[in-house]
Amino acid sequence: MAPARIKILKEVLAHYSSPMTLNYPSSVDPNKKYSTIPEGLRGVPERDQEKCIGCEACARVCSGMATKIFDDEAEAKRLVQIFLFRCTFCQHCADECPTEAIKMSKKFEVATGNRTDPANYVDTTLDLLRCGNCGHTFYPRKYVDKANELLMQKINPLVKDVVETDFKKVQDYCPSCRRAFAYKFDTHTKKHVWLEGQ
Amino acid sequence: MTTSVDPTIMEWLKTEVVPEGLEFKPLRENRVLVRVKLEDVAKLAERFVKKLGARLSHETGVDREQSGFDIVYVYDFSNVKNLVLILEASVDRDNPIIPSVGKVTWQAVWAEREIKEFLGINVEGMPDPRHQFLPYEWPKNPETGLPSDLSLYTPATTGIIPTSANWKPIGIDPTTARSSLLPIGPYHPGVIEGQTVYVRVDGEHVIDADIKTGYHHRGIHRLIERRGYNKGVFVAERVCGICSAAHGLAYVTCAENLYDAEVPERAQYIRTLLVELNRVQSHILWIGVAADLIGWKTGFMITWGLRERVMDIIEAITGNRVNYGIWRLGGVSRDVSQELAMKARQTIPGLKEALTQLIPAVVDHPVVKARVVGVGPLTFAQAFDGGAVGPVARASNWKIDTRRDNPPHAMYDPRKISWEIVVDDHCDMLGRTLVRAKETFVSIGIVDQCLAYLEKTTGEIREKPQTIEPGSEAVGLNEAPRGELFYYMRAGGTDVADYMMPEGKHNVQGSNLLQAVRIRTPSYRNNAIIPQMLIGSALADVPIVMGSTDQCLACTDRVEVINDKTEESHTLTWEELVRMSQKRWRS
Amino acid sequence: MVDVLFTAVTMLIMVPVALFAGILYVFLFRKLSARFQWRVGPIVRMYKDLAPLLGTSRILQPLYDILKLFGKDTPVPDISRKTIFVASPYLAFLCAFLAIFFIPFPGVPLLSTMEDSLVIASYLLIGAVMFTILGAASSGSPWGAIGARRDVEIFLIYEVGFVVALFSVGLVARSLSLWEIATRPGLPMLILNPFAAVLLFLVILGKLAIKPLDMAEAEAEIVAGPFTEYGGKHLALFQLMKAFLFYDMIALFITLFLGSALSSILWLPAYIIAVIVLLFFITVIQVLHPRFQIAKGMSWYGRWVLVFGLLTAIMVLVLRFYWVV
Repeated sequence: MAPARIKILKEVLAHYSSPMTLNYPSSVDPNKKYSTIPEGLRGVPERDQEKCIGCEACARVCSGMATKIFDDEAEAKRLVQIFLFRCTFCQHCADECPTEAIKMSKKFEVATGNRTDPANYVDTTLDLLRCGNCGHTFYPRKYVDKANELLMQKINPLVKDVVETDFKKVQDYCPSCRRAFAYKFDTHTKKHVWLEGQ
Repeated sequence: MTTSVDPTIMEWLKTEVVPEGLEFKPLRENRVLVRVKLEDVAKLAERFVKKLGARLSHETGVDREQSGFDIVYVYDFSNVKNLVLILEASVDRDNPIIPSVGKVTWQAVWAEREIKEFLGINVEGMPDPRHQFLPYEWPKNPETGLPSDLSLYTPATTGIIPTSANWKPIGIDPTTARSSLLPIGPYHPGVIEGQTVYVRVDGEHVIDADIKTGYHHRGIHRLIERRGYNKGVFVAERVCGICSAAHGLAYVTCAENLYDAEVPERAQYIRTLLVELNRVQSHILWIGVAADLIGWKTGFMITWGLRERVMDIIEAITGNRVNYGIWRLGGVSRDVSQELAMKARQTIPGLKEALTQLIPAVVDHPVVKARVVGVGPLTFAQAFDGGAVGPVARASNWKIDTRRDNPPHAMYDPRKISWEIVVDDHCDMLGRTLVRAKETFVSIGIVDQCLAYLEKTTGEIREKPQTIEPGSEAVGLNEAPRGELFYYMRAGGTDVADYMMPEGKHNVQGSNLLQAVRIRTPSYRNNAIIPQMLIGSALADVPIVMGSTDQCLACTDRVEVINDKTEESHTLTWEELVRMSQKRWRS
Repeated sequence: MVDVLFTAVTMLIMVPVALFAGILYVFLFRKLSARFQWRVGPIVRMYKDLAPLLGTSRILQPLYDILKLFGKDTPVPDISRKTIFVASPYLAFLCAFLAIFFIPFPGVPLLSTMEDSLVIASYLLIGAVMFTILGAASSGSPWGAIGARRDVEIFLIYEVGFVVALFSVGLVARSLSLWEIATRPGLPMLILNPFAAVLLFLVILGKLAIKPLDMAEAEAEIVAGPFTEYGGKHLALFQLMKAFLFYDMIALFITLFLGSALSSILWLPAYIIAVIVLLFFITVIQVLHPRFQIAKGMSWYGRWVLVFGLLTAIMVLVLRFYWVV
């Protein structure tokens, strides 16, 4: 009877002077020496404004339906917005971003009593290209540049020159106008490019 | 992962087990799909469960719109041979009536109540026809506010005798409620979940008991169906907070069985590592909760204090304490670097020593033993007939474990990781406590071995998934800390609903949305046998018996405001609840 | 006349002293239990960055909790016997409150010079518990009924011990007046009859509902036992009754068993040390034990009370007739 109670008493007194509960907020301050925040904590997602190309990948894979794209035709601006009330900090957008623009910060104290606080949103604004022909906005400029860059890296060297010249012809036009002018610009798919020794 | 079924087993199926089968289709791993006629279903259930010794994993239904319903029965034959049998039968839409399997075995009763409530299929001859989630009084006559003729809250339906043990559902007549009928719930400080256990007491002695789950429907199935495979895994993780890793693994196992998946070895080790860490913290949590239910707040605090160390390891590896977010089809998304694995491995001996000192001190305490020995007895026969899973079954001397019988897509190969199944023969609350305490140490051993592998090697962690054939089906099973967790998925056609597709023509590409997903948690099965455990115990034992099954239901329910004098009741809507909370916060 | 005035003034001063002492004991009890549970517990000295907002100390936190309850709604169930239900908290509080005047503070007699102050104090302390049980039984809820029944079952056991312990001291001191017992010269009763001290300590465990004997208030099983239907100012009165009861029982123990030590010049350190030791033991026993079931609890408790009761009785006989002091 007594030995079991003595054992529990020893357990109980083990942490008498060093309790498991910590002081808040000093224990989660990342600047302090004994912060309890580990590296790699999944906090609020932060997007690098320079690296984001506006490709919509994050909006497609967002599991909480928090990331949404808003296009403004008149101003020709694309707004990529994460609404933190719905974000679940799952890191899916950071995993799928092609330019690794999204990083999960270590900030987690985002509760607020004000629904319209601008800190509830993580915004990135990009310029949209306007079609030279019909005047509608289509893709962001950075997205087109990045697509060109990736294309040139991975393309078969035999067709590289042709593709490069064709791309320069169409890059300022929206997809519908590109199709409409395919024969005019000679960028249609029936233009055969014979590959030697294919 | 992609092994198909042994041909001898297919032969055995066709000749001995289901000769009535119309179509036999081997799926991936050891699953076989057999289509039968609806009339044979009860006869087959009798043959499987009573003669061959199989277990019913779950019974569910898929709504195929104009084509009617498909009723799916999944039987686990791992006692006999390495086989999981998926039996399917079709019911047409106009008059859906199916024969009851619950008459044959108690394991199907709650599943059939759910089918009746979700899909509106009538089950003929079921032993317990009451509502599962909706209140017994629903539907109410809108004019009088009293239960209408369609509700099951009538004295005629309360004298039903099911086939399992000597238990019958007791009526909840309000005029007799105040005499000796105690409602433990729906809001009770001892029980966290939103359910009600009605006990009829005589002094301190319980003479009858019944359990009623609250309205736990959160729309998880619909959310997953709407989001598709890649995003649905995050919803599946959030079904349960304590065993979120088990749900993640069961989901990816099920989805990977829809195509020929190859998961890299390093990813398998990481998956096992996280699921076992999850099990450690879940069992330590349970010991604390059990201590709290017998009134020992100190035991609760000190075990949870130790659990924090496990949570720190999990947070350093995955970035979050509860929802790990690393489950992807074909692997995991975050790698465990070699330094991190080394640092984590260095904390394991200290953790093990602290647990070795603490857990036996808590479990061998004489007053704890006085509260726990002989409480909530469940014999092997009762466990087998009632369909117990997990530690509840293992404490009744039944050696089942999904990690050995139907392993999920993680590293449980006994040639690479050595682990053992813990079985106890006390058949009561003490047995369940000892099983969980010992499983904690087994899991820490597995964690140590996984970390040893991870700190020495590098490798790929993710394979790109392939296209999923429309109409394919899969079953994913995993051993959650509470028992066997069941996922069933059926892949959809294109984004267009199934009934609009012309027969025989499917989109070659496959699609990214599911037609049906069905989840069955282990607590669903263990809760169905709580009333059998409660009869004959003392009132003081009721919370601890309920806690011994480690129930993990959704802690949600609806708020109903009842005015006793005018006999009217009113359920709060979402907007009303928000407005009421905001008003109280501001005042 | 001067006597009456002096007594009245000391009684008036005693009220805040007893209240502060009771609250302090509750605070220390909570703080020690928290430290044993690896937690920090209620704060003695506030952190620097929160001090301007919340004050520098939270020792009176239990009092603030009680005062908060006074501001809440006070529901009265329809199916209860309303008169008894509403009257019980007041009467229970009154009993515990009046008992502080019959237990002397070191050096200050208050009302304990009366001839039967020991009997009156014990009746008042019994009355506090009885009115709780009465209130619970009249509340009309099944939880109150079960809580009241369990309370009565434990009460039957510790009352026997209570009476034996008190009257053993009275018999050896040959007086029923607490002032005479307290100022008796010679060895303190703790040394003369230690079994009675242990017996009274066991009774304190039962009366204050210290685990393993708090079956009446088991939250996991019966919501809050006798206090389920009470809220607002009624619950506040019950909490105040508990705080005063804490002070009463500890003061009674010290008066009965350390009386002569308190008459000397070192009364304050002796009092403080006695309080700390008692609180430490009470907390350690609370922390180490889960709660018993009612049947096993009664038999466990009954065994201990029986053994120490017999030993006390034998010691009393020895002290009265053989080794007369």
